[in-house]
Amino acid sequence: MNQPSDSILGDPLSIAVLPASTQVKPGPSDFRLSRLHRLADRWSHLLFLGCSLLVVALIAGILVFLSSKGLAAFLPLSGNTGRTLGFSEVFLSADWAPSNDHYGILPFIGGSLTVTGLALLLAAPTGILTGVFIAKLAPSWMRTLMRQVMDLLVGIPSVVYGIFGLTVMLPVISRTWLKDAPASGFAVSAMILAVMIVPTIVSLSTDAFESLPQNLDEGAQALGASRWQAIASVLIPAAGPRLITAAVLGLGRAIGEAMAVQMVIGNNPQWIALMRESTDRAPFLRALFTPAATLTTELVQELPNTPAGSTWNNVLFAMGLMLYLLTMLLILATRRLGRGAEA
Amino acid sequence: MLNPKTPETKPVKLSVKDMHFSYGEKKVLDGLSLDIHAERVTAIIGPSGCGKSTFLKCFNRIHEVASEVKVGGDMQIDGIDIYRGGIDVVDLRRRIGMVFQKPNPFPKSIYENVAYGPRLFGVKDRAALDELVEDALRKAALWDEVKDRLKESATGMSGGQQQRLCIARALAVSPEVLLMDEPCSALDPIATAKIEELIIELKEHLTIVIVTHNMQQAARVSDYTALFWLGRLVEMDLTERIFTTPRERMTEDYITGRFG
Repeated sequence: MNQPSDSILGDPLSIAVLPASTQVKPGPSDFRLSRLHRLADRWSHLLFLGCSLLVVALIAGILVFLSSKGLAAFLPLSGNTGRTLGFSEVFLSADWAPSNDHYGILPFIGGSLTVTGLALLLAAPTGILTGVFIAKLAPSWMRTLMRQVMDLLVGIPSVVYGIFGLTVMLPVISRTWLKDAPASGFAVSAMILAVMIVPTIVSLSTDAFESLPQNLDEGAQALGASRWQAIASVLIPAAGPRLITAAVLGLGRAIGEAMAVQMVIGNNPQWIALMRESTDRAPFLRALFTPAATLTTELVQELPNTPAGSTWNNVLFAMGLMLYLLTMLLILATRRLGRGAEA
Repeated sequence: MLNPKTPETKPVKLSVKDMHFSYGEKKVLDGLSLDIHAERVTAIIGPSGCGKSTFLKCFNRIHEVASEVKVGGDMQIDGIDIYRGGIDVVDLRRRIGMVFQKPNPFPKSIYENVAYGPRLFGVKDRAALDELVEDALRKAALWDEVKDRLKESATGMSGGQQQRLCIARALAVSPEVLLMDEPCSALDPIATAKIEELIIELKEHLTIVIVTHNMQQAARVSDYTALFWLGRLVEMDLTERIFTTPRERMTEDYITGRFG
């Protein structure tokens, strides 16, 4: 009785030719079939629920794991073989020397903020203006092409960008501007990151401009605004909240990126001291081209080499926890902004 | 409405002679000629796709925003060719304001919307701006409704208020001509009545060209009416004559709803 044509409703034509008495009487077979359906319904419901619970459990599990390991650096938890650290000697100290029992992670926090900040400074204006161009100025064939290119660029693995930075940008910059001194540091890292996040910002800001009411720039130009004035004084402010969302999502990607940055930043936890001491170069050159480190690069670099449960290992987990929370915060902020844009 | 028995005293403000317009390969307007008198309301009616909106947008050259278009023939304001080389489009658009089909207030405050035009033309003085904004809002019959919330966002207003704000915004740069592209098509009857009242008040000092789908509206507000059909002018005359004794059979058919 599992033929689909024998369902409760059946074929309307065959019902019409049946005598009325056989039409309405629910046979026992109808009951069986609907019970089967209901069973399938319940099982598929459980399957979907199970899958989503699994995802939630994974995310929560990672948070619990990260927290237990990361907080072990500060709390005397059981099974903790490392030293219990004070909050300030980790978060307010720039002295990172685990072999001497110094665990200041300020260089990494500072490094992450600097690199992502610089990357955003490069990528946000470029991305937003490209978005304006694609949405409002480009001829339609170019618009289609650019959109496809941007979607492709988003999918390129970060290690590819890293290889490009390592094998092309570092040597070229070193040879042309730095008299063969090493070029690794914030500048190249930020440039690589900017290239990585620009497609995201472009895609989202193109969407933002395209979703604006069509007659908005016509309205501005009818009042005598030039095309550029209409863009600057009406379109960009109108798309504002969604442009900020685009930038924040780019920021989220930049702050979590490890591979590409690790390949070009130089991985030097003592960068603050080095920057202060090396006076042979102009300050801004020093700031941009001193080998440095970030939260992510340091994790990639050191986590595999530290014994589990040691103080060193615990502090690295604390850094991981920080990244996790920071990213969560950014995602929540984007949600907020997105909702503000809809209202 | 102008009486057919009294002669026209107002000079010609806008003059169109043998005008052609194509959008890519597609011909939209084909050999149009008509005169529009100063301080009169001229309504342009006709079925959808007859080129009325396109015609309107040729006066302030706003169609150039969109894409590749070709304009031929002669369009003049006060005897000056609008399409002559070296014409300052910005100045042209200050003299010829426009109100669009869908209210399009900028997502800024009410005040900033009205001040947008004057600011573009370099008015920086706060007191002068305040005065211009109040004056424009009064002319658009909106001042009493919004004077206590000038700082609030314009997007929170009702559709009718938004459209009157767009009128105020256009008036703030003291144009000589106001082009209105179906200004009431997105509005309810009460809001429509307010806009129509406003149009009649504004023609004291302004030349108004209004495109409308609504023939009763054309009859109510305009002095002259022009009927367009497939990019050509069927007939243009005093509104009273168009609606009572049209010369063309087609006009009569359109007015009485037999086509279109």
